Amino acid sequence: MSGPVGALESAVRAAVAAVDDPEYPGVSIIDLGLLEQIEVSGERVEVGLIPTFSGCPALTMIADEVRASVGAVDGVEEVEVTWLAGPVWSVERVSGRACDRLAADFTVAVHLGPPPACPLCGGLTSELSAFGPSRCRSVHRCTSCGEVVEALRG
Amino acid sequence: MTITDPGVSEYLLCFADDEHLMGQQHTEWIGVAPFLEEDLAFASIGQDELGHAAALYALLVGDDDRAIDDLALRRDAADYRSCHLVEVDTGDWVQALVRHWLYDAAESLRWQVFADSAVTGLAGTAARAQREEVFHRRHADALLDALLSVPESASRLDTAFRHLLPVALGIFEPVEGETVALEAGVASESIAGLRPAWQELVVARFGPVDWHSITPPDQAGRRLRSADFAVRYARMREVNDLDPAAVW
Repeated sequence: MSGPVGALESAVRAAVAAVDDPEYPGVSIIDLGLLEQIEVSGERVEVGLIPTFSGCPALTMIADEVRASVGAVDGVEEVEVTWLAGPVWSVERVSGRACDRLAADFTVAVHLGPPPACPLCGGLTSELSAFGPSRCRSVHRCTSCGEVVEALRG
Repeated sequence: MTITDPGVSEYLLCFADDEHLMGQQHTEWIGVAPFLEEDLAFASIGQDELGHAAALYALLVGDDDRAIDDLALRRDAADYRSCHLVEVDTGDWVQALVRHWLYDAAESLRWQVFADSAVTGLAGTAARAQREEVFHRRHADALLDALLSVPESASRLDTAFRHLLPVALGIFEPVEGETVALEAGVASESIAGLRPAWQELVVARFGPVDWHSITPPDQAGRRLRSADFAVRYARMREVNDLDPAAVW
């Protein structure tokens, strides 16, 4: 990207990236795959996000934080944040960097294909319950070290 | 896109109100479900249903949170269009689970009719919701399987099923605006047209049913609230009634 529009779009993207998931401080919502589109038109910016699940209770908080963060970018006068009807979020959208942080900071595995590996020892986990503490997480136990592991699921 | 046709609005309002009331009822199990994981899982599933309701309400009044809350919480009781299944008090957890199963089996079918909807955004919302319903139905099935393995629970489950099945038929009562919605390409099938597929699912899960002996509730085209609605209505408006200016 080049020119003023490209530069502004990069700055907006960085501002969105500065917003962390409320449940996982330190993990950017971009790394979790929530950002779908940025449209810059003059000084007006539209940010299109997708939720992990319809029932995510953090949607308003995330949208407010994106609005504030992008609104503070030089050259942005107006920000519209929209939760898009599609595409459907899936764990494939989670970046490798986010997978690493989730494992290191929260003992959370990303459930790309069963069974997820234990974030502590790398051992195999077995599912204790598909129905974890929030809609996007299931509960597993490591068959090697015994750690109880939450998995971010699609 | 905000829908302006009154018939289409009335039609979608029925589904939105079902989702809202069902979500409200599921979330009431937080803190009191029989075990911790279930407590959280049921409430999380309820949040999905509330998310579906919010997405449908947004089609009717736009994305503004305040406008959605006005429609969801600040209407007269007589203006709700929920079916009676989502309004009734389920006395115990077994009843709540059976209702969850019966409702979600129908809900999965209901989202399918929007796959090619003429309403912008509805097909996308439906695709997400249907994927979530796979998970909801897995939850309902897993817990029913667990209950069936204990004789006392299985017997209570059977009682709950017999009690709730007639009420569940109210889901399929034709609703106002449906003809307009079908003609406009909002949906591809009538609500009554989904009943045979639902009945097949019910029979596969609970065994043979003599459908002719079961009478649906009198809902007067969903214009009649059931006796238990008043309790739901008061509970879901509790915060709003304490502080109408509250923001959450």
